[in-house]
Amino acid sequence: MAEPSTPVAHNPLHTALLLALILLVVAAIAGFFPPALQRTVTQAMIMLVVVTGLYTFCGNSGVFSFGHIAFMAIGGYTSAILTILPGKKEVALDLPVWLEQIQLPVSVAGPVAVLFAGLVALLVGLVFMRLRGIALPMATFAMLVIVYVVALNWQAVTGGRQALVGLPRTTGLWTGFGFAALGLFVAALYDRTRHGLALRCSRESEVAAAATGIDLERERLIAFVVSAMIVAAGGVLFAHFLGTMTANTFYLDLTFVTLTMLVVGGMRSLTGACAGVALVSVVSEVFRSIERGFSLGGTTIAAPPGLQEIVLALILLVILLLRPHGLAGDWELTLPGRSQR
Amino acid sequence: MTGEAGVATASALEVAGVVVNFQGLRAIDDIHLTLRPGEILGLIGPNGAGKTTLINVLTGFQVPDHGSVALNGVDLLPLKPHQRSRLGLVRTFQNVLPFAGLTALENVEAGAMATGMARGAGRAWAMEVLGRLGLADKAARRVDTLPFGEERRVGIARAVAMKPKFLLMDEPAAGLNDAEAEELQRVVAGIVAEGECGVLLIEHRMPLVFRLCHRIQVLQHGATIALGTPEEIRAHNAVRAAYLGDEAV
Ligand SMILES: Nc1ncnc2c1ncn2[C@@H]1O[C@H](COP(=O)(O)OP(=O)(O)OP(=O)(O)O)[C@@H](O)[C@H]1O
Ligand SMILES: [Mg+2]
Repeated sequence: MAEPSTPVAHNPLHTALLLALILLVVAAIAGFFPPALQRTVTQAMIMLVVVTGLYTFCGNSGVFSFGHIAFMAIGGYTSAILTILPGKKEVALDLPVWLEQIQLPVSVAGPVAVLFAGLVALLVGLVFMRLRGIALPMATFAMLVIVYVVALNWQAVTGGRQALVGLPRTTGLWTGFGFAALGLFVAALYDRTRHGLALRCSRESEVAAAATGIDLERERLIAFVVSAMIVAAGGVLFAHFLGTMTANTFYLDLTFVTLTMLVVGGMRSLTGACAGVALVSVVSEVFRSIERGFSLGGTTIAAPPGLQEIVLALILLVILLLRPHGLAGDWELTLPGRSQR
Repeated sequence: MTGEAGVATASALEVAGVVVNFQGLRAIDDIHLTLRPGEILGLIGPNGAGKTTLINVLTGFQVPDHGSVALNGVDLLPLKPHQRSRLGLVRTFQNVLPFAGLTALENVEAGAMATGMARGAGRAWAMEVLGRLGLADKAARRVDTLPFGEERRVGIARAVAMKPKFLLMDEPAAGLNDAEAEELQRVVAGIVAEGECGVLLIEHRMPLVFRLCHRIQVLQHGATIALGTPEEIRAHNAVRAAYLGDEAV
């Protein structure tokens, strides 16, 4: 007879806790780094928020999204408009007076921006989640292009081709850490719900999922909104990390980097998401510094520009060829004595 | 043709005049079928007779060209597969279709979730169902690492965990060894007895069908050629000729 209390199930919250502890150690050590390197670690923490958001939708559903960076843009621009000094907005933008006069602290503007992105995801998702097969990833890509073009040309609201400047730079190392940990816990909590389980079932077999009472469109929509909000939080953090942004800040470069992180680490695992962010961040940093050049015995050696992107692309290709489920596969970091998922 | 209760009751799964065509091939040809609670109805017939197609029609994976399908008097045709399974119309698959990358426990928990149970209660219920199918010690194993017989039992456990009102089983004993088939027989008899569940059993293992079923319906080329008690079917000449042949019955 079965023992219902047997600890046969993997608990995602344990994984999130262990990963957050590792991040804490990383952040504590990074506190001693020179400012430039500290900023690199902070940026990696922000990327982790974004990749965790991507994982929540793509990892559980098995459906790729090429468009989630659009939610970063929506989060970032919304928070920018709500936090930049009214005087600066008057010069750079052409907003309705009530919006121009608003100036909120980031702690208020951020959540507003995240909720707004969630609302957009809900409306977009209601249509998109009806799509099947490759149509859905392509639709998300179309969404990214639309958001980009709007950001690039809607002079009155985004500043158009001019960089939007003057955002409060509130994202530091510890803010980055805090939200990375929060993102992990939100993702783990979602994984534990019936909705997380149902979506993973649909990833394995849409037909069997339907026969098991799972409403594919509804489950995908829930995950889409949750993941869009996590990614938007990453957008808010990134905007207030840079202090300035253009439409290009949230476009193909970032899409490529974050998807590479997700795939290299392993999109079916939260541990994999973290491993991917860590690996890609370290490799990027190393090759960026090589591109900048270093002196060796009096002469400066610099690699050709673009080397960093090429190396990342090669890593992605090698993983796709040799370990299609990423470095972690289905493996999750978990407390000793507990069995794996 | 018999069937003790002749009249169709409101609480039953009812198929009337169903026709399915696949580009010129008539896979289902005017089938009528009634499955009552607490009853095990065998559905047998040679390969390609249309048995799986009929289950697909019942569960919403195949739209019929003609005919009606009703559950306890409710027309099922407008409902999608997931809505039908939430009404207690549950199926298993001939090729199992497990959630291969998930654990046995997660597979069965997914079934439990369909009943609306809370997460904790669902897990306990899933463990109990796994235990019933002799899979308690496999709960943490990924299903794609299990041998075929166990994988098929996980598929059955997933369906049983949904607490079906009507359970449609597509060759549940295929690929099971004799001991496993015995076990399966006990499980099916058990859920029928305890839950007043009606079972539609598609199976090629005739001894199992004849021992377990209250009534048997025989299909050939998409049409019913016989319907009756196991004794009647055993004595039916056309059935012997069409299907049973010299098979030990
Ligand atoms: N999707 C489809 N498209 C075209 N033909 C189909 C399709 N599904 C089934 N058929 C055909 O319909 C007929 C009935 O098939 P079905 O799978 O229902 O038979 P079955 O009784 O379940 O057979 P088996 O015992 O081999 O499982 C067969 O001739 C089959 O080739
Ligand atoms: Mg079949």
